[in-house]
Amino acid sequence: MRLTRRRFLGGAAAAALGGAGVYELVDQLASAPKRHVAEPAGMPAEQHVFELGTVHSEGVEVVVPPLHSEVITATVKPGNIRDAQQELEDALRELDARYELSPKGLGVTVAWGVPYFDSYVSAQAKQHLPHDRRANKPALLPSRTFPSDPKETIIEHNDVAVLLRSDQREHIDRARALLFDDLHVFEMTSVRRGFAGGGFSGGKSLPQRMAVAAGVPGADLIPDGSELFLGFTSTQKAGLGPRLIANHETLGFVDLRSGYFHGGTHMHLSHISEDLEAWYLNFDFDERVLTAFRPGMTSVKQGAQTVPQGPDNVSSVELLQKQFKQTGRFGHSASIQPTSRLQRDMVGPDGTLYPKGTAIPQRADFNTLDNPFAWTADPKRDNFSQEASAGVHFVVFNPSSDDFERNRLAMDGVLPGGTKLSVPPRTRAQGFNSVLTTTHRQNFLVPPRRHRSFPLAEL
Amino acid sequence: MRATIVAAAAALALAVFVSGASAGAKASCPAAWRAGWQALADKVQAPVYCPTWMPNPLDARIGGQFEDIYSIAKDRSYLVSFLDHGDAGSGDVHVNFRGYPGRTKIPTCKTTILEGAKTIRGTTPCFSDAYAKVRGPNISATAYHTNQDADQWHILLAWRYRSSLYTVSEHVIVPYDSSTRVLANLRKLLNGLVLLRPQG
Repeated sequence: MRLTRRRFLGGAAAAALGGAGVYELVDQLASAPKRHVAEPAGMPAEQHVFELGTVHSEGVEVVVPPLHSEVITATVKPGNIRDAQQELEDALRELDARYELSPKGLGVTVAWGVPYFDSYVSAQAKQHLPHDRRANKPALLPSRTFPSDPKETIIEHNDVAVLLRSDQREHIDRARALLFDDLHVFEMTSVRRGFAGGGFSGGKSLPQRMAVAAGVPGADLIPDGSELFLGFTSTQKAGLGPRLIANHETLGFVDLRSGYFHGGTHMHLSHISEDLEAWYLNFDFDERVLTAFRPGMTSVKQGAQTVPQGPDNVSSVELLQKQFKQTGRFGHSASIQPTSRLQRDMVGPDGTLYPKGTAIPQRADFNTLDNPFAWTADPKRDNFSQEASAGVHFVVFNPSSDDFERNRLAMDGVLPGGTKLSVPPRTRAQGFNSVLTTTHRQNFLVPPRRHRSFPLAEL
Repeated sequence: MRATIVAAAAALALAVFVSGASAGAKASCPAAWRAGWQALADKVQAPVYCPTWMPNPLDARIGGQFEDIYSIAKDRSYLVSFLDHGDAGSGDVHVNFRGYPGRTKIPTCKTTILEGAKTIRGTTPCFSDAYAKVRGPNISATAYHTNQDADQWHILLAWRYRSSLYTVSEHVIVPYDSSTRVLANLRKLLNGLVLLRPQG
């Protein structure tokens, strides 16, 4: 049996742990990054928009993620939801007033699951929930599993998920206390914590130091300076969707119907375990590159972490098929790009030009040592353990459930137009999949800020 | 994938005890192991490194109960391997010693990956992804974490002496089920290595 996180830390480190557990070490191991972010003139209509600064890493512009992230999932407590709506909105406005909307302050995103819309506002939802034109399905779909998911993957049924982001752990702690302890509208089902970044100024990276401190197998194999446990930079600016692209309305994929959800988006939340030793002991650097990106990338400097993924480096279905025919495998980024990047220039409703190759998803994923969560109301169902485990809480904003599903299916070799790169699930040929295990999944809808509290309840 | 066991703590405690027994006086190749290692040096006509400590429960007696591979190639490169398969799923302890007399370049290994009906063949350095430096009394070694063939899923230390390359590696598997623990074992191994020169 492995040492537990608590036993491993011991001594002074353990004494330093409070409610945030091992994550308080983030503040001891990394200081808040210096950010060059323009102050928002006002609160944007979108809840998911969170302006982050950038730095240059290995010549590539990289977004500096917030140091701390946390997702709390919950069900709605029985009661009058119109009253609950007012109470929640008052609490959120208190947070808005207390903290600036930036990583120095706090970002709050409230997202609602299918069970909420079905149970509490089903009549209004039928009339107002957005509809995906491409899929001819609701923009918010019940979650599903994917070919490379193990059969144990749990599809969740939470009413709500609240994403909290900040460079200051204390701000997140206070927000959680206000929304889930002081208010009596939610019953928490899980708390998911983690961290990101902290490695751009050189030296040992935050993920490596955190993993070593927690005794995670393979922790010492994480390269110095790496942003994520798996060793590559994932927040390069060109790989993340620009400001409003993930809104329901921006690319025209979604029919907003009444317009109630204009400025809203879709959020997928999953927890993925990462087998660091399988990754670092089995795959040499060159294979890690072609696994993470695409076969044929032979010119990447040994040890590089930030590999350019700009619009000019984007893969297509044809290129994927050709490389798959030659090598019998496909890379993670390359497989997703035919669905995650624009295949032609597009213009948003506000006149913004989105050139071909622009990324659509806005990711907000973060490293975690949760196994699988920091806390759960149902430890047995969730296979909860106190032992630290390397993983990622994957949070991503797309215009709709279908748009997310297209990307996730592509990761398994199921491409648009029915093309299938046929390899057995979770084999080495399937990019990252052989070292990743998805434990939980759920889709949510993120209303615009004006309707973030119990959407549709007032109608 | 890694197996799981419950006896790790006990095995680790024993390993520390054995280590303690070898501390103290200037290290020399243990008498019970010396003959085999000296014979190897004589056979390859090059210096070889004899260990004075091995992770529990292994010993390093060539021809003994834990010897797994004893192989000398035409170019005089050698692989000496010691392995214990634990009882009832208690894991493996597997240590490899290699030497490449007369050359210092990291060798190249063939790779074969089966993907469904396809066989993908290629070549790759036998030891890659240097990630740490480990210094012993007379040796400065580089730790590699991605290794091939008999060293696959091992952490490996490689160093050069005169015009030859030497390595020692250990499998990351229960009871030594993390790269951190294995690297600690390898540090101890490196600290105790004794050079034996060919005689005659």
